[in-house]
Amino acid sequence: MNFFEIVENTLRDTLGPSLTAFRPEMAVCATIVALLLTRMLAPRWKSSPFWLTVVGAAAALWFAAPWHYLSGETSERAATIFTGMLVFDTFSVYMRSLLFVFLVFFAVLVRVTGVPEREDLTEFFVLVLGAALGMCLMLSANHMLVVFLGIEMASVPSYVMAGMIRHRRASSEAALKYAVYGAATAGVMLYGISLLVGVLGSAHLPTMGTQLADMLAGGHFADRTMVLVLGGLMVMVGLAFKLSAVPFHFWLPDVFEGATAEVAAFLSIASKAAAMGLLVRLVIAFGYAPDATQLAALAPARQYMAMLIGTLAAVTCTFGNLAAYGQTNMKRLLGYSTIAHAGYMMMPVAAMAMLMGGEPAAARSAVSAVAFYVAVYLFMNLGAFAVVALVRNAAGSEEIDAYAGLIYRSTGVAVCFSIILFSLVGLPPLAGFAAKFVAFASVYDAGMLALLAVGLLNTVLSLFYYLRVVKVMVFDTAEDASGAMAMATSAGLYLLIVTAPLVVWGIWWNGLYAWAKAASAALS
Amino acid sequence: MFDVSTLLILIPGVPLLATLVTAALGRWVLGRRSHVPVVAATAISLAASLLLIAEVHHGAQGWHVPERSEGRGDSANHALRSSGRATQCEDQIGYEQTVTLWTWAAVDQAPRGGQSHLRGENAGWPRHDSRAAKTGAVPTGRDDAASRDFRIDVTLRADALTAIMLAVVSFVSLVVAVYSIGYMAGDPGYWRFFTYIGLFVFSMLMLVSVSNFVLLYVFWEAVGLCSYLLIGYWYDRPAAAAAGMKAFLVNRVGDFGFALGVFLLWTTYGTLDFHDTVAGGAVTSVGILGQTRLADPAMFATGATATAICLLLLLGACGKSAQFPLHVWLPDAMEGPSPVSALIHAATMVTAGVYLVARCAPLFAASADAGHVVAVVGGFTAVLGAVIALTQTDLKRILAYSTISQLGYMFLGLGVGTVLGVTAGMFHLFTHAFFKALLFLAAGSVMHAMGDVIDIRRLGGLRRRLPVTHWTFLAGCLALAGVLPFAGFWSKDMILAAVHEKAGAGGALYMVLYFAALATTFLTALYTFRAYFVTFFGVEKVPEEAGGHAHESGRAMTGPLVILAVCAVAVGAVFGWTHGFADFLRQTPSIAFLDARTAPMFDESQPPATAHLAIVVLSTVAALAGIALAAALYLGSGAAVSRLARVMNVLGLYRLSRGKFFFDELYRLVVVRPLAGLARACSWADDRVVDGLVDLCGRLPPALGSALRPMQNGMIQFYALAMILGLLVLFAAVFL
Repeated sequence: MNFFEIVENTLRDTLGPSLTAFRPEMAVCATIVALLLTRMLAPRWKSSPFWLTVVGAAAALWFAAPWHYLSGETSERAATIFTGMLVFDTFSVYMRSLLFVFLVFFAVLVRVTGVPEREDLTEFFVLVLGAALGMCLMLSANHMLVVFLGIEMASVPSYVMAGMIRHRRASSEAALKYAVYGAATAGVMLYGISLLVGVLGSAHLPTMGTQLADMLAGGHFADRTMVLVLGGLMVMVGLAFKLSAVPFHFWLPDVFEGATAEVAAFLSIASKAAAMGLLVRLVIAFGYAPDATQLAALAPARQYMAMLIGTLAAVTCTFGNLAAYGQTNMKRLLGYSTIAHAGYMMMPVAAMAMLMGGEPAAARSAVSAVAFYVAVYLFMNLGAFAVVALVRNAAGSEEIDAYAGLIYRSTGVAVCFSIILFSLVGLPPLAGFAAKFVAFASVYDAGMLALLAVGLLNTVLSLFYYLRVVKVMVFDTAEDASGAMAMATSAGLYLLIVTAPLVVWGIWWNGLYAWAKAASAALS
Repeated sequence: MFDVSTLLILIPGVPLLATLVTAALGRWVLGRRSHVPVVAATAISLAASLLLIAEVHHGAQGWHVPERSEGRGDSANHALRSSGRATQCEDQIGYEQTVTLWTWAAVDQAPRGGQSHLRGENAGWPRHDSRAAKTGAVPTGRDDAASRDFRIDVTLRADALTAIMLAVVSFVSLVVAVYSIGYMAGDPGYWRFFTYIGLFVFSMLMLVSVSNFVLLYVFWEAVGLCSYLLIGYWYDRPAAAAAGMKAFLVNRVGDFGFALGVFLLWTTYGTLDFHDTVAGGAVTSVGILGQTRLADPAMFATGATATAICLLLLLGACGKSAQFPLHVWLPDAMEGPSPVSALIHAATMVTAGVYLVARCAPLFAASADAGHVVAVVGGFTAVLGAVIALTQTDLKRILAYSTISQLGYMFLGLGVGTVLGVTAGMFHLFTHAFFKALLFLAAGSVMHAMGDVIDIRRLGGLRRRLPVTHWTFLAGCLALAGVLPFAGFWSKDMILAAVHEKAGAGGALYMVLYFAALATTFLTALYTFRAYFVTFFGVEKVPEEAGGHAHESGRAMTGPLVILAVCAVAVGAVFGWTHGFADFLRQTPSIAFLDARTAPMFDESQPPATAHLAIVVLSTVAALAGIALAAALYLGSGAAVSRLARVMNVLGLYRLSRGKFFFDELYRLVVVRPLAGLARACSWADDRVVDGLVDLCGRLPPALGSALRPMQNGMIQFYALAMILGLLVLFAAVFL
């Protein structure tokens, strides 16, 4: 094969299947360009950032076409694009579609609640879309470089977004902490990646998996165990930072308190979802090989990952729930709740690592559980942070005390928020229950009963601090009985639309679960 | 125009819609007109229920009780049957039709391979093979290795049992809702009341029409919630709030048993559906009460498993239907408004337990022991309730204990386990719904006129002041006492006949129960007419709370009373004499199954009343004797009563009855005190240990932070430090 043939092949591959599969990301890129151009050419059109973002995200969703790939109409399985750098399968379709759905909802939320600095709106949305682009890469990464690139692309705009309120000291401080912390973990992760790549001789994930299998099967790896374990651990640090897993969570409460509720929503949902998808991908890469003997040889790697992720999940979950007790600030409380939910979501990943060897069907349903949980979690946290933003606008406070007697001042918001909180606890018949149910079912399938017990105990623990908020809203009386809270109709409608899926999926969870199942169909 | 599926969706759907409308608009928009959606919805539901009965009746035409075939239980025969079902086969047992609305949940279960060492014992899941037959495991009729998926379809079913329950529930709901317009007028929570009622009607209609144990449980809890909300409707009264709490907690005990029963059903049968799931002409999942299983009784679990399932389900039924030993909540539940007592705590919700046992009749048929327990619990509760009712002075409490006693009757009938027994139990449920709702509404009418006084010692001679209430109450009393030809007579007689028959077929136990039931007939007549005579005869006594202008209630309240009175007089004769109820009900698969299994127990050519002349005579004599004794005691001076009370007190009986056999005190001593102690211990542990831990965790980051704060770049350094420490800990954990 001569040089021109290579160029020819690459060109054909890039222009053909790769770019076709990459259309959603290109739509996001085009939106970024359009945002910047509009800012320059039509500075008077104040609401342009909002409309462009909504249209761009909707277009991306249209190109991602989950209804096409997830409804079972198509028989397309996993395909690698851009010469193996990215993988295009139903899982990435599902997760990216969630991301685009979130972007649409997020843009509307910002429109409804309003960010403090209106003139920065264009920059804000550019940052959001830039981060989203990085997340897309994380979700379809098939190469260690793309993994790192994706994480950094998603992180760097986040640092800026955390510090968007320029004149507030807490905001700037939080942004700085976030950036320093992020830089540190990025360094650790990069070191881990270089260790792994050095030992395994490739940065292409499937190749790394087979190399690892050969190495384990050959038995001549004893001298490199230390390097492999350390490398894996360091890569996990980078992910744990994005997932806000304990003990790499310290940035999160401070950043949430410092940033606006909208940014907190973005960080707790989009960022978390992308990291979750990436975690699933990496676990599959290092724990699965299509060849049966290689698959068997990877058992120690799976065991290691299951224990590592399971332990992190248990600790994260427990810490998040316990720390949430003492909070008086709503955003901090939701921050710790986010940490706890990251723990819940990691549980089925650990189960998947355990099951991948012997029972592919069960492992797939563990992936479905993650996918399902992420979708439900999206709406739960979006609703919760929307309420925080609305109450902030109306009452000027983000303390829990500000929610006293909310049921009398703004019945609809209080009812919706109660539904969201009950769903966060995981009480039937709401979607949160369904999500916990499928997640715990996978953990049970994997036989990780200790982890299951931790998860269940944590659910009980979490009951108290979520319901305390409900109690404050319903039973406590506000000190300044300032009458009805002024809420725009659009705000109420938005909250209703965000809350509705929690109820609908609660009594019809198969509607979503069928897609989640399709999402995991192409894996392993 | 309306097919079965449309009707099935319409019946609970319309009340749900009405509930949402009332909840959303009641407070601000509807106000005094808050009853309109609920009344209209129940009326539509009633019409649809009646149409459904017609449809089911029509659909069941051509079906007749299958002959007992020798080949039943033969698996080859069974295979033949299940394959031929695509063409609406003739030998279908009973008539049923299901509508699947959507799949609520479908979670793949990992195949129970044996590959994973983690599974260990689970690998040997019961399979449909010879090994399973040997070990007595229950074949689930599915390829277990491939699928034990957790799947719940939201499926509604139409069969005779459901159709009857739907009609009863929607009818009584409609009547009570109309009555409430008058009774609740002027109440500040008018819209709230009708929202709860609408929610209850929806839940109850769903309860009887779902075709899955999980959904049954969901709506079982939902009606419990409505009951709780409505008992504590006047939440500012401490007694009402406490009664609501008590009902909720006592029901928890029963529901816990029910939940365990459902779990056991799942592990035994591998499904929770009642019906067979049919896809593409083949049965893909054999339901617990589905046609495939009914056709092959060998597919039912037997032995200890069956008994355990039945007893756990019975525990749930006892909680909801206020049977001994969980009967204590029902009398207190009378703190709720009278229409609530009539609708929920007499006619509908408390009969859910009866419905459950009737629905699961094939399961109970598989365990004779469980059947005996049902009969004994029912018989004992019947006597117990009647004895306590004798000495109560609160009119609604008398009726509450009477409800407990009558529900005991129903359980007695179900416990017999024959077609006649189950039919009789359901028939008693049917007639009881009318006359007990009537009695409660009439009592409510008395209360309404008397300024909320309900103590019969302070009432007397009201028959002239409240003529309509009086006459309708009398009709209810006669029906309850079981006087020919009033409604109660027919159903009670049928139960007695069923018990007697079982006693005749052997079993001293049932002979004892038969006499207990006869004694209860006597006691029922006695306490019923005691209440009647004391309230409506004698010197006119009107409490001062009535404000001196006590008068008959308005038309919204008397209208329902009259309608129910007509029913109390007529339904027994119409459906009992003509045998129409029993014939219709026997088309239910669960009950037809009993028909196919057991030899004909009574001569079908004759109505039961004539077939059991001796029983008719005995029960009528008992009832009349009770009425006569009541008249002798309470129409004269009080001297006879107090003398009798003194005599009885020598035996301790009077005190026992008056004190409701001190069950509340007993439970307080045995259950509540220790639990309260435990609660205090938990509370202490919560204060000291859990809160301490929580506080510690809450303080840890700030404490560490403040420890490091004096340093120049305090926080961020600490974070980095923590991160490195965490990494080191993880690293150490991997290697150590």
